[in-house]
Amino acid sequence: MFAYAASLLAQVTLEPFNRPAIDWHAVAPELVLLAAGALITIIDLVGLERVRKLMPTLTSFAFLAALIPVLTLWSQEDELPRSLFDGAYVVDRYSLVLKGLFLLTGYVIALLSTNYMSEGDYYDSEFYQLIAASILGMLVMSSSRDLISIFVALELISIPAYLMAAWRKRDLRSNEAGLKYMLMGVFASAILLYGMSLLYGLAGSTKLVDIAAALSIGESKPLITLAIVFSVIGFGFKVSAVPFHTWAPDTYEGAPTPLTAFLAVASKAAGFVALMNVVIVAFPGQSDVVEPLMAVLAGVTMTVGNLIALRQTNLVRMLAYSGVAQAGYIMAPLAVYGTNVDRVPSAMVTYLVIYAAMNLGAFAVVIIAARKTGSAEISSYGGMFGYAPGLTLAMTMFLFSLAGIPPAGGWWAKFELFRVLTDGNRYLGIMLAIVLAVNSVIAAVYYLNITRQMWFLPTPDGDTSRIVTPPALQVALALTLLVTIVSGILPGLVSDISGSLQLALP
Amino acid sequence: MNLGSGALGEIASRAVSDYSNFLREYLIVGLFGVLAFATVATFIGLARVFRPDRPTAAKIENYESGVDPVGDGWSQSQIRYYIFALLFVMFDVEAVFIFPWAVGLEQFGVFGLVEMVIFIFILALGLAYAWRKGVLRWV
Repeated sequence: MFAYAASLLAQVTLEPFNRPAIDWHAVAPELVLLAAGALITIIDLVGLERVRKLMPTLTSFAFLAALIPVLTLWSQEDELPRSLFDGAYVVDRYSLVLKGLFLLTGYVIALLSTNYMSEGDYYDSEFYQLIAASILGMLVMSSSRDLISIFVALELISIPAYLMAAWRKRDLRSNEAGLKYMLMGVFASAILLYGMSLLYGLAGSTKLVDIAAALSIGESKPLITLAIVFSVIGFGFKVSAVPFHTWAPDTYEGAPTPLTAFLAVASKAAGFVALMNVVIVAFPGQSDVVEPLMAVLAGVTMTVGNLIALRQTNLVRMLAYSGVAQAGYIMAPLAVYGTNVDRVPSAMVTYLVIYAAMNLGAFAVVIIAARKTGSAEISSYGGMFGYAPGLTLAMTMFLFSLAGIPPAGGWWAKFELFRVLTDGNRYLGIMLAIVLAVNSVIAAVYYLNITRQMWFLPTPDGDTSRIVTPPALQVALALTLLVTIVSGILPGLVSDISGSLQLALP
Repeated sequence: MNLGSGALGEIASRAVSDYSNFLREYLIVGLFGVLAFATVATFIGLARVFRPDRPTAAKIENYESGVDPVGDGWSQSQIRYYIFALLFVMFDVEAVFIFPWAVGLEQFGVFGLVEMVIFIFILALGLAYAWRKGVLRWV
């Protein structure tokens, strides 16, 4: 007996462990942000109240510091794509553009939060640390080509966001926002995990490229369909696609406004990045299943979002529903990825970049205006041109951009969508392009209604004192306005960066 | 882009076949849902049909680990325990990762040690945070 056990033990040979080769430069943005986040936490722990005022500045610097390795990676273009961890993590131009987008979005969010947090009796140090953690998850998401890293990134993005949604803890609506967002998010994660487990069962690997190979020879179409539907539904919650959008309006209204901007821009973009990574890398041969699903989701999402947005009287809720509709627009190219896969990532990333600028800008105006009026009701914007002409001009530009009216950047983003959808003369694409065109008209009604309020209608309470804009919000407004206008007048600049992007295969 | 009658006709016929394929593939999703509901309904329904039903006051009480339940189900528990439960999760996760690492430590060598030190450092930062912000104090 013992002899047998000993002989068994003797057979066990310890395989020497080889440290995986790690391309440190490729993961430098994530490492810099992680180290900076840890450093900020330590500074917070040592200084407590004395360093509270420094937190937004430190966090902004952390984002900008993490942007440096993104730029150096971009400058060494001939070494891209860099593939790490056996192809589970890929750094290519596509992921670098997105990392830049997420870091700059984080920077603007820190600017938007500065006054909001310090003036409102909140635990503000933690807020910035959580923003940094969430952005770190987004950086990881941009490069993930593996189910496990995608899931970990998704949770790293979501869990801080659940906490931050309930940040105004003495306000019941904020509690409701946090609870709804968390319950729906956890539910979505469970569905997503179910889909992922089916994918793993089909492929025997968590790497997206292996899954693509296994699905292409897979016999069991029903099982594949089931796995795809579950995965897509999981991401559908994150990007607030109809019918998984129910959390969005309440969460957006109850959460602190800077966080609402964060959810509407960064978190949503990260959901789309996950969707793109999975659909384009893991389901390239399954377009017969994915395309109709995406077409229906996109069409329903944009239509329902726009129709409900028409009836809103609160600007933040309206922006929430407009965000639902915009999610439908952004999703649309995935309905034709089977034939146009070369152009889908560029169109979606272009839209995400311009959407980030114009939507963050609109939220910046909401935050600035609420400092005076204390309200986000659309009627409280009446007559703003009379006492805040600069702010009114900026908001008009953002709303024109959201509606897709030149010269603001939104028209170029939408133009790219139409180009992808109509390319190849496909039934699904053309139908969706028609739906998109009709929806753009509906959306223009409620966007332009706000400009009408600001330019033509009288001030509701007659209070026409000036609005004081603190420097942090001025910088945020200037940055977003600059990107919105430049991308509309010189779209070539945007397409130089986000044009012809491909998801590199490891 | 040619939208002549020929192209339109072709698009329309392709649409019909696309659509029926689409429905056929999604039928399984519906079947799956029906099956899930049917399974649960069958089990619960069968149990209801076959089991004797003679309730007494003691029998229909909630089972609470053998202890007599006190108060109703919506009683509130002390929120202070919640924070300690969270901290416990931190150490729990730490242990989950340390056990497999300890088994392979001989192979991992210095690299493994450095990795684990970084990991524990980040977790310890959480504990330091809780300590410094007064979470550990029983208020």
